[in-house]
Amino acid sequence: MSARPLRHVGRSVPRVDALEKVTGRARYVTDLVVPGMAHAKVRRSPHPHARVVHVDLSRARALPGVFAALGGADLTWCDPYCGPAFRDRPVLAIDVARYEGEPVAAVAAVDEATAAEALDLVRVDYEALPAVISLEEALRPGAPLVHVGEPLAGHFADLASLRPERGTNVCHRFSYARGDAAAALAGAHLVVEDAFEFPRVQHYAMEPNAAVAAWDETGGLTVWAGTQNPYSVRVELAKMFGAPLSRIRIVVPHLGGGFGSKTYAKLEPLAAVLARAAGRPVRLAASAAEAFQTVRRCGARVRVRVGLARDGTLQAVECRADYDMGAYADIGPRVVQKATYTATGPYRVPHVALDARAVYTNTTPGGAFRGFGVPQLAWALESLLDVAADRLDRDPVDLRRQNFLAHGEEFAPGDTPIDGKFEESLGRAAEAIRWTAAAPAGRGRGVSAMLKASIAPSVSEAIVRLHADGSVTVLASTVEMGQGARTALAQIAAEVLAVGMDRVGVAPADTAVTPYDQTTSSSRSTTLTGRAVQEAAADVREQLLRIVADHLGVPARRLALDDGAVTVDAADGGPGGAAGQAGAGAAPPARRLAYPEVLALRFGMSGGELIGRGVVAPGRTRAPLGGSTPFWEVAVGAAEVSLDEATGALTVERYVSVADVGRAVNPLILEGQDEGAVVQGLGHTLFEEMTYADGHLLNGTLLAYRVPRADDVPAALECRFTENGDGSGPFGAKGAGEGSLIPVSPAVGNALARLAGIRLRELPLSPERVWRALRARRRG
Amino acid sequence: MLRPFALHRPATAEEACALLGRLGDDAVPYAGGTELLLLMKEGLLRPRHLVDLKRIPGLDAIAAGGGGLLVGATATHRAVERSAPVAAACPVLASVARHVANVRVRNVGTVGGNLAFADPHSDLATVFLALDATVALVSPRGRRELPVGDFVRGPWETAREADEVLVAVVVPPGLGRVAAAYVKFGVHERPTLGIAVVLGVEDRDGRAGAGRVADARIAIGCVNPRPARAPDAEARLRGCGVGDLEDVAGAVAERAAASADPADDLHGSADYKREMVAVFTRRALRAAAARARGGEGPARYAHAVLA
Amino acid sequence: MSGPADDRAAGGAPAAEAIELVVNGRRHRVAVRSHDLLLDVLRDRLDLKGAKRSCDAQVCGACTVLVDGLAVSACTYLAVEAAGRSVLTVEGLADGDRLHPLQQAFVDHGAVQCGFCTSGMLLSAKALLDEQPAPSRVDVLHHLRGSLCRCTGYRKIVEAILAVAGDAGHGGRGGRP
Repeated sequence: MSARPLRHVGRSVPRVDALEKVTGRARYVTDLVVPGMAHAKVRRSPHPHARVVHVDLSRARALPGVFAALGGADLTWCDPYCGPAFRDRPVLAIDVARYEGEPVAAVAAVDEATAAEALDLVRVDYEALPAVISLEEALRPGAPLVHVGEPLAGHFADLASLRPERGTNVCHRFSYARGDAAAALAGAHLVVEDAFEFPRVQHYAMEPNAAVAAWDETGGLTVWAGTQNPYSVRVELAKMFGAPLSRIRIVVPHLGGGFGSKTYAKLEPLAAVLARAAGRPVRLAASAAEAFQTVRRCGARVRVRVGLARDGTLQAVECRADYDMGAYADIGPRVVQKATYTATGPYRVPHVALDARAVYTNTTPGGAFRGFGVPQLAWALESLLDVAADRLDRDPVDLRRQNFLAHGEEFAPGDTPIDGKFEESLGRAAEAIRWTAAAPAGRGRGVSAMLKASIAPSVSEAIVRLHADGSVTVLASTVEMGQGARTALAQIAAEVLAVGMDRVGVAPADTAVTPYDQTTSSSRSTTLTGRAVQEAAADVREQLLRIVADHLGVPARRLALDDGAVTVDAADGGPGGAAGQAGAGAAPPARRLAYPEVLALRFGMSGGELIGRGVVAPGRTRAPLGGSTPFWEVAVGAAEVSLDEATGALTVERYVSVADVGRAVNPLILEGQDEGAVVQGLGHTLFEEMTYADGHLLNGTLLAYRVPRADDVPAALECRFTENGDGSGPFGAKGAGEGSLIPVSPAVGNALARLAGIRLRELPLSPERVWRALRARRRG
Repeated sequence: MLRPFALHRPATAEEACALLGRLGDDAVPYAGGTELLLLMKEGLLRPRHLVDLKRIPGLDAIAAGGGGLLVGATATHRAVERSAPVAAACPVLASVARHVANVRVRNVGTVGGNLAFADPHSDLATVFLALDATVALVSPRGRRELPVGDFVRGPWETAREADEVLVAVVVPPGLGRVAAAYVKFGVHERPTLGIAVVLGVEDRDGRAGAGRVADARIAIGCVNPRPARAPDAEARLRGCGVGDLEDVAGAVAERAAASADPADDLHGSADYKREMVAVFTRRALRAAAARARGGEGPARYAHAVLA
Repeated sequence: MSGPADDRAAGGAPAAEAIELVVNGRRHRVAVRSHDLLLDVLRDRLDLKGAKRSCDAQVCGACTVLVDGLAVSACTYLAVEAAGRSVLTVEGLADGDRLHPLQQAFVDHGAVQCGFCTSGMLLSAKALLDEQPAPSRVDVLHHLRGSLCRCTGYRKIVEAILAVAGDAGHGGRGGRP
């Protein structure tokens, strides 16, 4: 690999999709018009739990302009159940509707107005059943059951064996232990313990879920979907219809935000089923209110016990977590087990007993959401660490520093060694927040550190095509949802092939065109898909070099790529055979063959292309979850807050985030991602929670669900990066984008505790909650 | 999307009333539509006729004179915010209008629409109540005027008859020099509470700081089924020297809180809201007092807007 | 309560009215019914997909367009209200290939991620700067209270707007920290 300085990677090049987005030309699913497409609308259950006694579609079907009207009982010609962990979620409720908002019937009509009219004509008879809404209710012995046991989905290696507890609402139980936590806690100098709660919150991606499905004359299915995993959706649909994967095509335009809300099949199966019944393409677009009834974050109740030695060394962590997974499992079981496995965070803990349950409730299904179960646990552990620091009369920054896992240290037997430097990031955050200086009057500061694994095992493949004119197309199925994936992949390809960014195009994800990528989530795309692209580009490079080497009879070491050409350095070369190095003193190349020339040599004409392939598939390992994380996400947060004691209103005045990213492929995009992560974290920290009463969601629209606004952003917000080139991704990069969200709530909670002497265990830290805690402190 | 309806565009208020009378329950008046159309989209209201008031000449007029400040029903929040007569006669109204909802709602939404809808979280209803404003209604039976407190009956309920059109809000001139403040607080899209304090100051010796409160009006909004005055709290203020208001602020705030009748809801529990009434009555009073003395008080509270 | 089925029974499809409006400087004649929303007419009839439907409740600003220079929520604005008026959508901001300074600033400052809020943000910002060429940060935040973004954390959006305001060369009122 040439050692010349990087031209594209590490530079804040403008996003490749910026122009189309600022001119309104970017296309999202709901902008697409497929000729002849019908419009669908969904009738949803008004009950948290009910038997669907009868669905009367006769009047709807009779309305002119209606192409299809379906209820669960009509789905006899497909397998109506979906789900990446358990196949527990029917496309339309079958016999039972398990949460308020569950699709019970759907219509497809010539236009939206007719579809709405048809929906008004659908009559559904329900018989209300007792419902369980809170974790407490769901876990009570003898509680009504949301499900009675469903088959495994069988797509994913890490979900091949799940442990439901039959006869209960526990969908999956995960336990992990090391050493003897009980004994270590018994013998510890200090044990701190507490229970924490994390609310149910919703992603509120600006674009709600949507899909357009169309069956073609050969019996193949195309779905244009705003999905983060086109390949998973493809598998679901193939199973549903008993079709080979090759006949199912998922095309992904721009996503108006994802954050996990668009992972795994959501609306695509219903769109496909309607399209089949209607005999024409069907567009199914959720409203923002319906998005709240589609997926959310799993709420959680977490009890943690931490044992420390007199000198502050962590000895044991015992954690019991219950995650509220809603009415359908979605990817909840993975959320629970993957997060619980790293419940101990970035610290060295010899004795560990972790036990977590994924629990069904009759509410909107909980699935993936940025952070994937870790925010819930970090809120608990990081708060408790500050409590321990307080009891030991130790500085919380210091206590953390003392216990951090070191660079290269093993997290767990068989798993990837720590590839980040926590101490460095914490040091920088502490300095930026001026930790050692006294806080200004009326201000308090808090810190938090977190560790998150990425999904493993996983697979990413990529193809790079070098065209006859020297331009390049990158084919990869990473989805663009704002995180800048298309740009990063273009930068990587441009770097390896030494071409300008303007010569590289990244095709939109399309399973008919772009090869397999497991998922755009888990902060994995730059690292894994990026490596696949890098490999594919390197494959093309090798082909270019070989063609020239063979043609000129010149050894490959005298060849290099530079600015769209293969360069041949002079026969006597430079010291050490340095070939084609730009820089002072290097001799200019003896010869340059532009790529079109090289291709002409290869093909004997102007035409043809070079195709390179990359496959990144780390595979299963002996690590506890069946795969070793390809990298660790490492991030630290520090907050400075002020408090209006009369009202309990908390203001985050300053916030510093430091993420250890190995190498920032595009610093400006990465900074934007982390700023967004911090502000989204402020959402569940200060404002957001889904409020249910008797199983009915009271605040499923923006009129009553409060997401952060521009004036909520801390007056001083800094997002910085630690770059030691130590990631396993291209050019030493590692994943980022989730890590910076996770420390927000504990950093703010810790700052509040240090400022006002109150420790809250529930989020969000609403003014009323804080006010109540202040009152209790005054009285107590 | 909206279900179909017929849109009528009367050229006079009389025509509008006649239409409303003829069409009855199937018709609603329409101006900016910022609240009406939202409820129609949600299917909570399904009128088959909208009677558009925006073509009625003069209905959007804003004028100040001896009789007070007149704000036409179809004047937008934006127009009120920028109006010279409002700035001169009743500046607090302009400040409140500046903070209603968001800029797009202000560009299109109207004062009359806001009052006639009687959303319990309306800023304007609270402020107009404290300003002792009256609403003017016309119908085939003639014109009548009603104090805002009698017009707004409860959540989304007013004294407007089906064939009546709200044509204007009139703010009478205050007793003495008016110093007023409105503060709203809350994390959500609509405020959790809004407190308006309007002081009528009789200056002495021509010095702003030496006057006394001749008249005091406090209106509490959002926490009760409808905006309500706090007469006990007001009584405590009357006669106070403008320089002594800080001393009575606690007692005034306590009385205001005692008069509130909040319920538990998404905005908070009753006891929290009651305490916040006290806190923000105090803060609004502090701001009004500073203005009475010719200055400005502290400007910022977290999650609150001071107008 | 009457419903659509009754409407059909009562008298057939609602009548359409031909209205004329100028959109992005071009005159259009469209047949609209009284209940048609401006957002749908722009997107579905005039093929201007830049304005988006997100919250559908006037809170988020994704549907913002300018009518006679004033920002409105097209999702809750009757198309007939735009008759005889001039509408500006994001597609009308650029002058051919030349981006509007706000568009360029959004690109340069990294103020675009998923892009779904971008059209609304740009038009809201334009309306602000047209009225207040040199807003302070507080002014910008006040104005953006009704424009939500879930990706960027707002910081770069605010910086981009202030940068354009600064470049306009007017003496600042309040200035930038």
